[in-house]
Amino acid sequence: MTVLLEMKERLKLIYSKSEVFIVPIVKFLLAFITFNTLNDIMGYMALLDDMKIVLIAALACSFLPLGAIVLLGAVFSLMHMYALSMEVALVGLGVYLIMYLLFFRFSPKDSLVVVFTPLLCALRIPYVIPIVVGLLCVPSSAVSVGCGVAVYYLLVLVTESAPNIRTMGKEEALDKIRLLVESFVANKAMLVIIAAFAITVVVVYLIRRMSVNYAWTIAMIAGAMINTVVLLVGDLYYEINLSVGSVLLGSLLAIAVAKVIEFFRFCVDYSRTEKVQFEDDEYYYYVKAVPKMAVPVPSRTVKKINTQRSGEPTGGAREDSGYSGGKGRQGARTVTTERSVPRGTVQQGGRAGTADRDMSGSMQQGGRTVSGRPRSQGARTVTTERTGGGGKNDRNTGRTQGRSVTIGRTANSQSNSGEEEEWP
Amino acid sequence: MVLSEERIILMTRMASYEQGEGRDNVKIGNYFRSDYITVQVLKSIVCGTIAFLIMFGLYMICNYKEFLENLYETDLFAFAREVLTRFCTMVGGYTVLTYVVCTWKYVSAKKSLKCYYHNLKKLGSMYKDR
Repeated sequence: MTVLLEMKERLKLIYSKSEVFIVPIVKFLLAFITFNTLNDIMGYMALLDDMKIVLIAALACSFLPLGAIVLLGAVFSLMHMYALSMEVALVGLGVYLIMYLLFFRFSPKDSLVVVFTPLLCALRIPYVIPIVVGLLCVPSSAVSVGCGVAVYYLLVLVTESAPNIRTMGKEEALDKIRLLVESFVANKAMLVIIAAFAITVVVVYLIRRMSVNYAWTIAMIAGAMINTVVLLVGDLYYEINLSVGSVLLGSLLAIAVAKVIEFFRFCVDYSRTEKVQFEDDEYYYYVKAVPKMAVPVPSRTVKKINTQRSGEPTGGAREDSGYSGGKGRQGARTVTTERSVPRGTVQQGGRAGTADRDMSGSMQQGGRTVSGRPRSQGARTVTTERTGGGGKNDRNTGRTQGRSVTIGRTANSQSNSGEEEEWP
Repeated sequence: MVLSEERIILMTRMASYEQGEGRDNVKIGNYFRSDYITVQVLKSIVCGTIAFLIMFGLYMICNYKEFLENLYETDLFAFAREVLTRFCTMVGGYTVLTYVVCTWKYVSAKKSLKCYYHNLKKLGSMYKDR
């Protein structure tokens, strides 16, 4: 668990350092996958079914707000529909307009949900959506999930009706519209899935907000069960031919994905839950505080920098042009750094600030455990000694440089006097 | 000049709020409650009417043959009454929903802004006490 927590902290650190690059890249990938999937499903317009166009559109989306992916996705699908038949595009435009006018007004910031729902439906893993949305969003996001499902079924309907529509002539324009509208409205599978997903979103949201231990885990399991039950009841009632196996497997996958999200979003240690009660002039307070699980990321600090007068490199030194000083300098420079990796430590409330500033200070809080492991179980101290010496062997700067790294593991986090081994 | 950690934390939180949900809340907070809800309800009536017209248009396209065949036998007043009833039900329902959602939104935005202004005051007092 500690390794996972460390990894999580590292990921968070990487994200916070490179957010400027990561966010556009993720948006680009999401847009690229969305437009590519749309082209795979429909692909009636040869002009759009071109990698260059997809790349340009995805690149534009990477610098625009998330809503741009929804807008461009709608434009892509409408153009494909138009290439198939103008009447189909009219129906598509009508459905999109109704959704925009009636539903998106209440949840305008759910662009991601609207994009992900049809995408995951197309990738055959739709059951992840209601559970994840219930865990991360608000109940009104059920509307966005419903719209996403409706969009997916509209695209599927257009694809399935394409052969019939192609055989119809221009004089049967109204029949094309009738065919699409009637099939869309009478699609029981779509209605059952919208109902199941909406109920699941609300149930998961309500349970995960409850003040019980393991609320998130209970919520995701209950959500998966309710989703399965509603889908199976709908299948029995409307005969929509759902595969029970795929529903069960999809629900298990949804729980697995939800557990990963829980780890990143709501990683708490219920064994250290504290319940406190106090009062002021107006209220009694009953407070339940559950500490977050977090470990500080190992940090490297420079302990001392020594300047040696002799031109000889120290023992164990090796060539490394990375630590160069002035060209032709006689003296050697020794940089000693310390890297501390606390084992089995947690930070109460997940506040990483203290640890970043002063690692030893955070460990002095002492005694707290993760999963029963004592905090003072051992801190790993890595001492890195870098020696830059003057000489003729340096490849780039004409100086000899050496680096020796010493790793020591100490029983006490405050002590650096553990057994040491030298890296060559 | 000594940096105050508490002040920096407060300022960071407030800046984050201003750039996130605070932006929308400030917009909502600029309205009086009745004005905000009235504007939203009017928007809903317009949106609901357009959506109803699209749905009605699609319905008529689907059923134009039957409608034209039975045009002289159909009681057009009864048909119009039925259409109007459906229009009122849909737009009325949508408006009520908008009213409820916007009232809740306004109340929560005001509550959140109250907290924000309280923090602003606290920040001001921190600078005074310096």
